[in-house]
Amino acid sequence: MKLDTSGLESIAPLFGASNELLDGLSTAPAFDLPSNVDLDGFLKETIQMVKPAKGTTTLAFIFKEGVIVAADSRASMGGYISSQSVKKIIEINPYMLGTMAGGAADCQFWHRNLGIKCRLHELANKRRISVTGASKLLANILYSYRGMGLSVGTMIAGWDETGPGLYYVDNDGGRLKGARFSVGSGSPYAYGVLDDGYRYDMSIEEAAELARRAIYHATFRDGASGGVASVYYVGPSGWKKLSGDDVGELHYHYYPVTAGTVEQEMVEVTGA
Amino acid sequence: MECVFGLVGNGFAVVAADTSAVHSILVHKSNEDKIMALDSHKLIAASGESGDRVQFTEYIQKNVALYQFRNGIPLTTAAAANFTRGELATALRKNPYFVNILLAGYDKETGPSLYYIDYISTLHKVDKGAFGYGSFFSLSLMDRHYHSGMSLEEAIDLVDKCILEIRSRLVMAPPNFVIKIVDKDGARHFAWRESIKDDSVVPSA
Amino acid sequence: MSRRYDSRTTIFSPEGRLYQVEYAMEAIGNAGTAIGILSKDGVVLVGEKKVTSKLLQTSTSTEKMYKIDDHVACAVAGIMSDANILINTARVQAQRYTFSYQEPMPVEQLVQSLCDTKQGYTQFGGLRPFGVSFLFAGWDKNFGFQLYMSDPSGNYGGWKAAAIGANNQAAQSMLKQDYKDDLTREEAVQLALKVLSKTMDSTSLTSEKLELAEVFLSPSGNVKYQVCSPDSLSKLLVKFGVTQPAAEAS
Repeated sequence: MKLDTSGLESIAPLFGASNELLDGLSTAPAFDLPSNVDLDGFLKETIQMVKPAKGTTTLAFIFKEGVIVAADSRASMGGYISSQSVKKIIEINPYMLGTMAGGAADCQFWHRNLGIKCRLHELANKRRISVTGASKLLANILYSYRGMGLSVGTMIAGWDETGPGLYYVDNDGGRLKGARFSVGSGSPYAYGVLDDGYRYDMSIEEAAELARRAIYHATFRDGASGGVASVYYVGPSGWKKLSGDDVGELHYHYYPVTAGTVEQEMVEVTGA
Repeated sequence: MECVFGLVGNGFAVVAADTSAVHSILVHKSNEDKIMALDSHKLIAASGESGDRVQFTEYIQKNVALYQFRNGIPLTTAAAANFTRGELATALRKNPYFVNILLAGYDKETGPSLYYIDYISTLHKVDKGAFGYGSFFSLSLMDRHYHSGMSLEEAIDLVDKCILEIRSRLVMAPPNFVIKIVDKDGARHFAWRESIKDDSVVPSA
Repeated sequence: MSRRYDSRTTIFSPEGRLYQVEYAMEAIGNAGTAIGILSKDGVVLVGEKKVTSKLLQTSTSTEKMYKIDDHVACAVAGIMSDANILINTARVQAQRYTFSYQEPMPVEQLVQSLCDTKQGYTQFGGLRPFGVSFLFAGWDKNFGFQLYMSDPSGNYGGWKAAAIGANNQAAQSMLKQDYKDDLTREEAVQLALKVLSKTMDSTSLTSEKLELAEVFLSPSGNVKYQVCSPDSLSKLLVKFGVTQPAAEAS
């Protein structure tokens, strides 16, 4: 299907029918239209493509010592792995982290925007914004854009005057306060490990190990997750990155190669 | 699957709601309180899309508070229900909120009352009402066992019957419920009905 | 010099006055008097009609009293054309409230919303303030019977007895002297007529020059707004001894 725009050309009829010099130049300009007829359906499909899957695994939980935040680092475009080294944990300020699932641009942009708003709050009020306040700020923005195609699934984790804080915020404008969340296509796998191993009174080391394992197991089963499992800890004095391990290496750490039963062994040819 | 229901008893109204926050196959949270206090003597229980539910109920709550500040007198439950309906109706043809609401309140002159407001702005004053998949079970049970002038004990018994039926008959039934009541002494939390305890609940700081 | 300050409603004079607003109040001082009295079982409004000519077709409806809603009425003093605009907005506000909340608008809120409109014209660009004072009589479930008085600046207040229009100060001081708490509605009518007869310029008080309206609860508990007919008003005047029956006899 082509759209003929010759009607818009005012000088076209002035030139005669045949002028070799102008052949090709004077032909009515035209351009291709998208071959799609069902534009509404196309839009719906496109939104469905970016919306629910969120090819990622991210998690965060509150425990005795503070909050642990962890994520993988893979970026995928459909089946294609476009990066193995994405920073999915966004440092909003020294006391607050955000995680990234869904559209990378949307998450990055709105977290930066949130960072600005948090800093302004700090300058205006001479105290850091609460995690409750920051997450509500983000949720209200996302709610005002609801249905317009943003794709954001995030957790806002941090430490404020009331102690550790954790909220889940998404592009429908939903905002949940909680102590344990996981977001992304790998989240069901991560939840499995996380729920099983979780205790409130873990040490920081135990908690970090649990988070790492949960991410690792998610990357093992979820094709859209992989790369490096990063683990952050947020305590009374701000956040700290604890580790970043290649999940491939974690695999050999968690599952060292053992001699398995070999069904049929090749016999060495003698006297060759 | 969401379940919100409530009924009016002798001198009080009671509302119950599930406490699950669900996204596709995932339960993100099993202790999400979906019943909000509008003011000292009003409860608003809502079900619907996660963003809309919170935004709309908070919007109503703030407007009810604003009315009280401006005029020095509280809205009656009937006025609040009509106001809520009006806001839902004006939004309906612009940017609709997908929320269903049960509004319970207690007024000095009229006593306890319960209002049913659905997402297309239908308003009904009811003795008993329900929303969500749980309504199929709770409605029939309330039809069977409800009578006017129920005592608090009878009403809670009935609510528990409904919860039990939902848990045993509804596919993907929510595990936990919250029950709140409103009477002459005000709106307040009554009880949790939990079959799954979230062990990660932070000790209240 | 002061011309510079009295031609604009929105500018204070160096002494901190808004001349246009004061002139508006002055205008009301020439209008027919209206008196409102709160009693324990109702509110009474009386007003003086300024009949200018006997050729004038005296309208069957009231001239100074207007019903705003089923539970609120008002008496007017000032420029009637201005008053008509305000009365209309008050009626719209009352209906709008009922539309939103399905119940009658509380009286003070109605008064306040009207006074907000009045206030706007003392502040925003080049407009003339409304040359009207009101007495509002009403009933609501929160505060029962109420009487409010408002002026062109948008000020209002709740009163037990109040007077607006010509000689309002004299009327007000007489009311202050003779008002007693726990008045019945009938006593309130008597007091209002007495005060009005003494403050009016014309010597003989007749029913053509008067209007009387009452807001009270009917036996069934509904709010009622009732305007007194000229006949019964004449009888009342005689009964309370405000005028001589001789006029009729002759």
